Amino acid sequence: MKMGLHYVVIRSHALIADLLAPEEMGKLAEQGSIVDFIEKLSGTIYGTIIVGERGDPSIALEKEFYLRFIERMTKIVDITPKKMGAFLQAYYYLRFETLNLKRILRGKFSELPMETIKSYLVPMEPYQTPDYEGLVEADSIEETVKMLQGTPYAGIEASLEVARRYDAIWPMEQALNQLYAITVLESLDSLSRTDRSLVRSILTFEVNIENLLNAIKHRRHRKDDLEAKKIEELFPITFDIDLKKIKALIHAEDLNEAIDDLGDPYTKILSPIYTGDVALIRARVRRYIYEIVSNRRAAKNFGFNVIMAYLIFSELEKDDLVGIAWGITQGITADEMTKYLSVSGR
Amino acid sequence: MEMKRRIGFIEKGTEFLKLKRDHLAKELTSSIDVLKGRRNKLLEELQVAYRGVTAAYISLGPTEVTSQASSLKSGLEIEVLPRATMGVRYPFIKVDKDPQIAGELDITLNEAAEKVMGILKDIIQIAEFEARAERIADELGKTNRKVNALENTIIPRYKAIIKFIEDKLDEEALEELVRMKLIGGALAKRR
Repeated sequence: MKMGLHYVVIRSHALIADLLAPEEMGKLAEQGSIVDFIEKLSGTIYGTIIVGERGDPSIALEKEFYLRFIERMTKIVDITPKKMGAFLQAYYYLRFETLNLKRILRGKFSELPMETIKSYLVPMEPYQTPDYEGLVEADSIEETVKMLQGTPYAGIEASLEVARRYDAIWPMEQALNQLYAITVLESLDSLSRTDRSLVRSILTFEVNIENLLNAIKHRRHRKDDLEAKKIEELFPITFDIDLKKIKALIHAEDLNEAIDDLGDPYTKILSPIYTGDVALIRARVRRYIYEIVSNRRAAKNFGFNVIMAYLIFSELEKDDLVGIAWGITQGITADEMTKYLSVSGR
Repeated sequence: MEMKRRIGFIEKGTEFLKLKRDHLAKELTSSIDVLKGRRNKLLEELQVAYRGVTAAYISLGPTEVTSQASSLKSGLEIEVLPRATMGVRYPFIKVDKDPQIAGELDITLNEAAEKVMGILKDIIQIAEFEARAERIADELGKTNRKVNALENTIIPRYKAIIKFIEDKLDEEALEELVRMKLIGGALAKRR
């Protein structure tokens, strides 16, 4: 049911108050065992979570955190006014569906057992595909792709040939990434000019960073792809970090110098590459998005900014909780963990 | 005479075994030194790789890491071949094919995978080196026992037997001489 924008904003305000504070997150990371973590978590909005005795508890908790996040997200996305809702659906539902499709395709490519592939899926209702079960149960990857005919994902069939040629799954993953990015960019038109500027700043930043990280990867491993393909094909969507800058990064003799030339925020965010701690880049990206949204919300605490802030904060909280749960089961110290978290690591 | 020929042969063999022992001991000492250095380096590299993997898990979540890791096209393919030094056979591991990733790994996981792959060959080399050192140590022990047995038991025993035979022969020759003299004396008296 679609509600008025005011109602959704007020609801988002109320729900933001339910999110875990950085201190609470820090305390959760300090728990010595997964039992203590679950115990501590029961004192929060998450309540008591029951984890089965069999299997890895961090995987069960990850599923639970995803469920909670999707529940929170759908509660907002489904009642958001039509035009705004169309964008949010593309931004969130499509993203998670694309993630599920990638996991299905990887599983089919590696001929994993169906139950294993199903266990990798994000627990959500299909958005634009008929059903995930059918895709997983298809006899082959070709069959899975055929089942996507008539959906917005039909276009990935063209990448199947490239995938066969390279005997690799990455061309299909790239096609899905591209499809997602194009759809989200197209759905931006449904937003008002001011709302679009917030989303654009996030999207531009995300695309720029992904392009830069891909360029660094290509620089190291896939120089042959660069020779075989045009750079435009490898980086189909670019913003202010354009193809010229990407090319310069790939071919630069000194990577550090090339990163310095990008200027802030990219130089600062990518600087962990100098020490080889690449995971820190992901944490910095998330923190930067947190900052963009927080600043926009501080400037205007009513309207789309608040909805976006709630959804983004919720997702960051989910990512952090997943990381903490896994870290605790592995006996990793809170200091080591918080380095890579976005909420408590700020 | 046969005994003397045999002991000469044994003594020569012992000398060869001593040479082999010294060579193996030298080989083992240098292997252990190299192994110590390599092991420490490997432990450091393993820690770095483990930190990379940990960071990827925290950053991406365990399911995404497992799913991305499942897109491994082929694993590490190795062949174990025999090699020998001073007659000591040890396994030599030949890497036929490096692991290949078919999927689009996140850079975090890509970095971790690269670190792990980088040390895979080191781990194989160290395993090969450890097996070599172990076999050399084993052979050294055996050779040492053989040399000791030859030097302290077999050669002295053979020498004792030869001495016993020589003494016995000398005694018999003396007896024969005395007997001959006595017979000679008796015959002279009769004439």
